[in-house]
Amino acid sequence: MQLPAALEEKFTTLLGRYPVKRSALIPMMMYAQDYFGFLSDELLTDIALRLDLNMTQVTETLAYYSMLRRKPVGRYHIQVCTNISCMLRGGNELYAHVQKRLGIGNKEVSPTGTFSLEEVECMGACTGAPAMQVNFDFYENLDPEKVDVIFEQLQDGKRPKPVPVISGALHERNPNEVVVISKNFGIPNSRSIDTYMQRDGYKALEKALKQMTPEQIIDEMKKSNLRGRGGAGFPAGMKWSFVPKDIPKPKYILANGDESEPGTSKDRPLLEMDPHQLIEGMVIAGRAIGSNQGYAYIRGEYRYIIDILETAIAEAYAKGFLGKNILGSGFNFDLAAHTGAGAYECGEESALMESLEGKRGYPRIKPPFPAVVGLYGCPTVINNVETLSSVPAIIRGGGDWYASLGTPKNGGTRLYSISGHVNKPGIYELPLGFNLRQLIEDVAGGVRGGKKLKAVIPGGSSCPLLSADEIDVSMDYDSVAKIGSMLGSGGTVIIDEDTCMVDLARRIMHFYAHESCGWCIPCREGTTWLRKMLDRFHEGGGRAEDIPLIDELSKNMLGRTFCPLGDAAAMPTISIVKKWRNEFEDHLHGKCAYKSAEMILGAH
Amino acid sequence: MADQKQVTFTLNGQPVVTPAGTLVLEAAKKQGVEVPSFCYYPGLSLQAACRMCLVEVEKMPKLQTACTLVATEGMVVKSDTEQVHKARKDMIEFLLSNHPLDCPVCDKGGECELQDMTFRYGLDHSRFTEEKLHYPEEKWSPLVYYDAPRCIMCFRCVRVCDEGMDVKALGVGARGVHSVIIPNEPGQLACEECGMCIDICPVGALTSGTYRYQTRPWEMQYVPNPCTHCSNGCKTTLSVRNSEILRANNRDSSGVNGEFLCGKGRFGFDFTNHAERVRQPLVRRNGKLEPASWEDALEEVARRLKQVRDQHGANAIGVIGSNHTTNEENYLLNRFARATLGTNNIDHHRTADYAGLAAALGPDAKSALATMSDVYTAPAVLLIGNDVTQQNPLVAWQIRTGVRHHKTRLYVINGVESNIHRQATHRVKTAKGGERAAVRWLTHSEGTFDAPTMEALLQLKAALEAEKDVVILFGAEIQGPSLRDLVSFAARIGGQTKIMALGDYSNSRGAADMGVLPDRLPGYASLHDSGERARFGKIWGAEIPSAPGMAARAMMDAALAGKLKTLYVVGANPVKTFSVAEPDKLGRLELLVVHDMFLTETAQRADVVFPAASSYEKDGTLTNTAGEVQMTHRAIDPQGPRSDFDLIRILSHQLGMLGVGAPIRLRTPEAAFDEIRQNVTGYDLPVSSLLGGGAPQSAATCKASEPLYDVPVGNIFSANDFLFTSGSLGRYCSKLTSTKEAKDTPWISSPNIQSWWYR
Repeated sequence: MQLPAALEEKFTTLLGRYPVKRSALIPMMMYAQDYFGFLSDELLTDIALRLDLNMTQVTETLAYYSMLRRKPVGRYHIQVCTNISCMLRGGNELYAHVQKRLGIGNKEVSPTGTFSLEEVECMGACTGAPAMQVNFDFYENLDPEKVDVIFEQLQDGKRPKPVPVISGALHERNPNEVVVISKNFGIPNSRSIDTYMQRDGYKALEKALKQMTPEQIIDEMKKSNLRGRGGAGFPAGMKWSFVPKDIPKPKYILANGDESEPGTSKDRPLLEMDPHQLIEGMVIAGRAIGSNQGYAYIRGEYRYIIDILETAIAEAYAKGFLGKNILGSGFNFDLAAHTGAGAYECGEESALMESLEGKRGYPRIKPPFPAVVGLYGCPTVINNVETLSSVPAIIRGGGDWYASLGTPKNGGTRLYSISGHVNKPGIYELPLGFNLRQLIEDVAGGVRGGKKLKAVIPGGSSCPLLSADEIDVSMDYDSVAKIGSMLGSGGTVIIDEDTCMVDLARRIMHFYAHESCGWCIPCREGTTWLRKMLDRFHEGGGRAEDIPLIDELSKNMLGRTFCPLGDAAAMPTISIVKKWRNEFEDHLHGKCAYKSAEMILGAH
Repeated sequence: MADQKQVTFTLNGQPVVTPAGTLVLEAAKKQGVEVPSFCYYPGLSLQAACRMCLVEVEKMPKLQTACTLVATEGMVVKSDTEQVHKARKDMIEFLLSNHPLDCPVCDKGGECELQDMTFRYGLDHSRFTEEKLHYPEEKWSPLVYYDAPRCIMCFRCVRVCDEGMDVKALGVGARGVHSVIIPNEPGQLACEECGMCIDICPVGALTSGTYRYQTRPWEMQYVPNPCTHCSNGCKTTLSVRNSEILRANNRDSSGVNGEFLCGKGRFGFDFTNHAERVRQPLVRRNGKLEPASWEDALEEVARRLKQVRDQHGANAIGVIGSNHTTNEENYLLNRFARATLGTNNIDHHRTADYAGLAAALGPDAKSALATMSDVYTAPAVLLIGNDVTQQNPLVAWQIRTGVRHHKTRLYVINGVESNIHRQATHRVKTAKGGERAAVRWLTHSEGTFDAPTMEALLQLKAALEAEKDVVILFGAEIQGPSLRDLVSFAARIGGQTKIMALGDYSNSRGAADMGVLPDRLPGYASLHDSGERARFGKIWGAEIPSAPGMAARAMMDAALAGKLKTLYVVGANPVKTFSVAEPDKLGRLELLVVHDMFLTETAQRADVVFPAASSYEKDGTLTNTAGEVQMTHRAIDPQGPRSDFDLIRILSHQLGMLGVGAPIRLRTPEAAFDEIRQNVTGYDLPVSSLLGGGAPQSAATCKASEPLYDVPVGNIFSANDFLFTSGSLGRYCSKLTSTKEAKDTPWISSPNIQSWWYR
């Protein structure tokens, strides 16, 4: 079929980007959708033919991703987040307001075709909650009045000004902050290569290429005690050292920018304000393991960030930091950004690789681990965006220096995206081992409105929740694990005394049921069963026997699912039932005691 | 494999020795310890999705999936602990949460793996009180239905279609709990309609259009028979109730085909009760075929046969035999023609040069014929001609599975396209019919080719010559002198080369082996050999004429020209097979007798039609294209028709009373098979194996002194049936032909599929 010239050009670029054609499938569908609003059979046929795929392969991939659609949406596709960070700050009320204003329900299109509405899962705007996206534009810190202004502008055919960068990233530095990877936040033109270079940019790469052997780079990484910032906390240097040397296959460096753990929005500022830091980290990683190709997998909702990253990549090529014979070292490295299409599961490393190969984002059987059999069956290092963004500083300052910033076995600093009921939600860079109470009360300005603290999600909604009396804890991987939770992804969510914990458990389970990939039985069936039970329970239909059943079903998933998503759904639920059992019992005696209960009926 | 390293691990306290690399689930199975699973399926890729096979492993904090866990030295595994039992119970509970409990009306009830697992490992009550998901049932084709709520997402169907069949018609739609299996076209399938997905489904999610809602499994009897369609001889277990076949499958993975069955074997049985089935003898009276009694019809045929024989001599009679009838029937027909009637005018539609192969191999045939299993185990396969995907589905399956499991290298020389070429390591694309020239070049380095073909041939030859223990498969393209070229090339390849001719129909090989040929006696004994003539003459109580008879095409020509006076046709439709342009000229025959199930183009012009029993309605043996012999059984009552065996036998008695030949006193197929075992080379098969459902390989072998075997051109050719046709019989397989793929001939006749949905 006849395609717009720009799309045709995009397709050509995408086709040249991967050793296996099918990898271009998801990006091609995403970009084609931009032009036509949806993916028609004709369009899919065209894409299938270009990629030598059959229709099953195309449609089953499409069906997996929530952003890909086979039916038209409105010219303005309104996506309102109601996940925990937004919910805690009025996301449900906002969604109800939008529904009322547009007169349409979830996944419906207005009669004129101007608007369509979708209630979406966490979009990575947690520190700007509540938030919504209009097509790919982010609007944050919303309330009904602000939303009305936005709709008026849209109706006038104007594009309301989206947030320039994520809310909460730019603020007066707290004295406790140790600025390493966020040092370019707020610097004018921070994303341009010139600015980056003026501020020590690409010096680490020069050092790594000219003064260090690959082994020395890995040693330095090991010394740094940098642990994976995606949530699992695996030592990065060790991961790199697992890649077999002297293997004839190509090797790959992947940046995991699928950031979608509810409550987490810390890769977004790194990507939008300092894309070169990531690029530099990836090239150094490539040098360390002998890889000549990297891909940065960025969640589909972050389209403007992908554009920023692609501009930065082009700049880096122009300056010779990417491509052939980098800085005269003889080392080659190519890099491309790759868009996701709406699937939390693709944040799991092996599912991400499947997705990057143009397939449904199902996780893979392990072992073998990616370091040996990864992307296209080749050795692969996959790290979180923040992990890779930390690499240049480590190479510049040395592993020992970096390690000294944190606590033993927990080197360096990390970004926290603090959201929920605090006075100063935002993104803060703090050393590993920072005290959680101080993080809440000092850095984030304490609980909003003088309310009492009830619960804390330390690092994304997969973590067991901490109660108010558990927050005197050092925020490092080991200490948080010791008290039965996880440091996680740095997405710290603060929950005040007015929050219904049953409602919170319900909302958390909605997310995991929505994002369960469906591969294994306990997660696929367990999350949905629990979602239905928690819905019923919160609406007042609970039975006494449901409380132990919720706990038991969660435990029946725990440790038995194919990938950690089942655990992620089980752990917060188990902790809520355990620590706030009284709130479940209260529900048995009437309706939810918290005002937010009225809102839940509208939400699903 | 003998020197494979062994490891010892502990299972439930018992030491288990197993080859290194064995999965714990498989090792446990060998010990008689069941580790339950849904998604695990031997031979297909691993999923670890159903989580039923979780076991405890010492030093591992979490339960491990036995289906992906490789047993290692010293590993300590427990599958009988409380924790493991609870995990299984919990998985079943999760599975049943959205699974409808419509077992009383579900086709799978009684043979459902989920039912069995629930019975053995599940909870005795349900704690799920929420609303279950519901989706409407979908009809993906007249043969395949999908009931999404019953689906447990084990992905077996997706894998067997992708990995096993290389068709890739199934995928997964939606996500999470809403995941469903989706067909490759919107709401429907465009595929080979093999039904493997139905067979492999552990629950009642995928059901068969021919079987659904018909019966309960325990109400049926099960009769394992070789399929009556193509030459591959797959075992198809007929499920029979009240003398009606309700289903065919091969769920117990018995037979040469293991778990494989194509659409013909699975759905092509309904011809047995087709409305157009001839159920009583028909005799032409005043130009019209009218029902007659068996006595009248038999008496009339005997009388008129004698008349023709008396007036014009025995050679005015021609006999055309069948590709579908049993070995015993073919043997009897041979005896009937040569001994009772006294003519060598006997032949059949030859679809591969079995006789030529036997002659070219000589006494070596015994060790040189490949079995179906050899095609799978061979390190390398050379395929010449034939679209095996369409024409020999089991052979294609064996090749694909070999490629998948142990990287069989497939070499192809072919003028036609075939999906099997996707598995090929080397492909020489010849001109149509150019396979012979390529074989000539391989053997004698003679002939010229265009540059790309030459280059491809050179590469293929070099690679082939480095192989050993190759299996060579060839279609009707290779026959006569070309076959001798091939055999001499085969002898140059290292190791034990094995060879297989690819014919068309269920007893194509048996017909040739039993000597339904103008110039060969049973077991390819030469008619020129007076000793062989005397040997069979003695058994048959008659002197066998020495001059070879007419080949089938010559008989047809002679019949149309009025030179032949009588044609006796058993289970064949020569008008169609030999593309007779003016079939009404058969009226010049004084007598045309046809045994058939249906009024084919030939039967319509007959003077007498005897209604014949189908292969599923009689006892006997069939020889597949690999020479493997299997018993077929009377699964259902033919309700009118008689077996060709009985017809020939009775007719011989009728003729005997008129003084023509000696009556055939072999009363049963068993008795005939005994005679075959004793007198046909290569058929001295172990009866225990046959009776036990085995498929011992025969090897009808020529003597070393046999002359070259060349048949007149035009007598050996493939009918080029594809997955939805089966000679004249296929037309009466209503279910098989009801699919759109069957009707959409361009779609399939060019295996280079045009539809982009199917690539």
